[in-house]
Amino acid sequence: MSIALEADRLTKTYGAVRALDDFSLSIPAGGVFGVLGPNGAGKSTLFRIALGLVRPTEGSARLFGAPAGDIAALRKVGAMIETPRYPPSLTARDVLKMLALESGAKNADIDGWLERVGIAQAADRSTSGYSVGMKQRLGLAAAFFTKPELVILDEPTSGMDPAGIQEIRALIVDLARREGVTVILASHQLDEVRRVCDRVAILSKGKVVAEGGVAELTAGEARLRITVASPIAPVLTVLGERGVADGADAVLADIRRGDAPELIRALVTAGVEIVEARWREADLEGVYLKTLEAAAPLSEGAA
Amino acid sequence: MLADAIAAERFRLLRDRSALFWGFCFAPLVGFMLSVGGDLFLRAIVKKPMPGVTVGLVDQMIKAVADGASTFSVLFLMIGAAAVLAGDYRWETWRLLTPRNTRQNLLLAKLVVVGEAIFWSLVLTAGLSAAAAVIGSAIGERALAFSAFDRNLFDVVGVLAVTWLEAMTLAALAACVGVLTRSTMGVVIVCLGVRFVQTVIASSLRLLEQGQPSWKLMAIPVYDADLLRATLLDATQLGAPAAHAGPALAVLVAWAALLTAGAVFLFRRQDLTKE
Repeated sequence: MSIALEADRLTKTYGAVRALDDFSLSIPAGGVFGVLGPNGAGKSTLFRIALGLVRPTEGSARLFGAPAGDIAALRKVGAMIETPRYPPSLTARDVLKMLALESGAKNADIDGWLERVGIAQAADRSTSGYSVGMKQRLGLAAAFFTKPELVILDEPTSGMDPAGIQEIRALIVDLARREGVTVILASHQLDEVRRVCDRVAILSKGKVVAEGGVAELTAGEARLRITVASPIAPVLTVLGERGVADGADAVLADIRRGDAPELIRALVTAGVEIVEARWREADLEGVYLKTLEAAAPLSEGAA
Repeated sequence: MLADAIAAERFRLLRDRSALFWGFCFAPLVGFMLSVGGDLFLRAIVKKPMPGVTVGLVDQMIKAVADGASTFSVLFLMIGAAAVLAGDYRWETWRLLTPRNTRQNLLLAKLVVVGEAIFWSLVLTAGLSAAAAVIGSAIGERALAFSAFDRNLFDVVGVLAVTWLEAMTLAALAACVGVLTRSTMGVVIVCLGVRFVQTVIASSLRLLEQGQPSWKLMAIPVYDADLLRATLLDATQLGAPAAHAGPALAVLVAWAALLTAGAVFLFRRQDLTKE
């Protein structure tokens, strides 16, 4: 399997701040790869290094095997980093035309992409009057219109309305599945990542703290939800650190599946009136928060 | 690759009407309006024709183009240059461009496009000064000659080339300052300041050294450009300093090349974390 982006022991410091700290990650070509992490985790720094905008303090990054910043490799890449900005004198069509000239992509389908991201009607208006959502759409067109092999998207749907988010999500999946474009997606919207990504890496304080397939990460994280008709205090006592209240009449038990019958017996013996006991599969949000908690307190991670 | 970057920058500047007008058209237009306005004012005051005064078309063009890199003109040229060279810091748009071409090509393309724009600004200056000469001669009912000093269009081209090179030393400085300060305002202020200081130092040194081109004088681009223009127009009248025209040209080229190389060196090493 070929590697689209590889980071090898990357460190990037800004004064006393270590944005990336001995960071290593390999992102395979093909599919959609999610990069998760709180603000300041190092996502944008990783992308900026890969795109040659920023030089690493130590370590190296490679795009399709070439050193980061290599222009031949970069021309296989489309990117939208943070909220896109444009020269105010240019219209959307001008922006794409300028970028096509810059890339030497003389046959780029400018009109087709303006249509595809839904801003064809506003294509000849100055981008200075665009809403955040329209700028995001133009940014996506700019990332995709030169037919790249890899697209790096940093928060591609922030500032968009729900219908727009759904539309762009479908576009990303379509490009990845049908056209074989590798997409690296950073997003705070975990539901979006769960729906779109095949694999994810969770970053915290400039390091990878978890990595794997979405199904793989969420497997083994299921918890037993026990709903009771009596007070939940005895349940929490029996469970100890493995139990957490989930509302006034339910408890989430962090136990192995094989331990469930013994727990139920213990609760009944303790006089608990059990209404229901049901396994709840873990969601990505739960895994994300748990991983970050394990890596560092959230308050520190968000610094 | 460099050609791609130049095409993109040229396209972008042609769409930036504000930078085009204020940076590269305003000073020539002001020169034209002041010239015609002055003629109209004189005619209104004198209220009669001025016989015996001849207007030289080429002479007017040479004078206007020679002033094309004066402190006044440089103010506007640097406004235009700043928009091209440092606009991507102001608008935070380097992130759009940097992954599409090499850093070297991106910055060199900007300088090439600024050079083109300065060239066309000087051509506009020459054209408008010729138009002002024709209109002025009609207003004042003065005789219009091709040149009163036996000069020709090659002289205009020569002066234009020297003035362009002089302006390009400042454009290369603007590239350096743009990368270092990441500010369009910084570019204008520093380049204008450097142009003004050059004029003052060159004037003082000329007096101190009685017009003989010492190495100190030769190191100043404004002096080199003046020396080259004077040599081109009348080497005999200039006398001994005319022998230094070659070194003056070399110094001008060296300044432009050195500052360009410096700007590229700095830009290639620059982190674009937040443009």
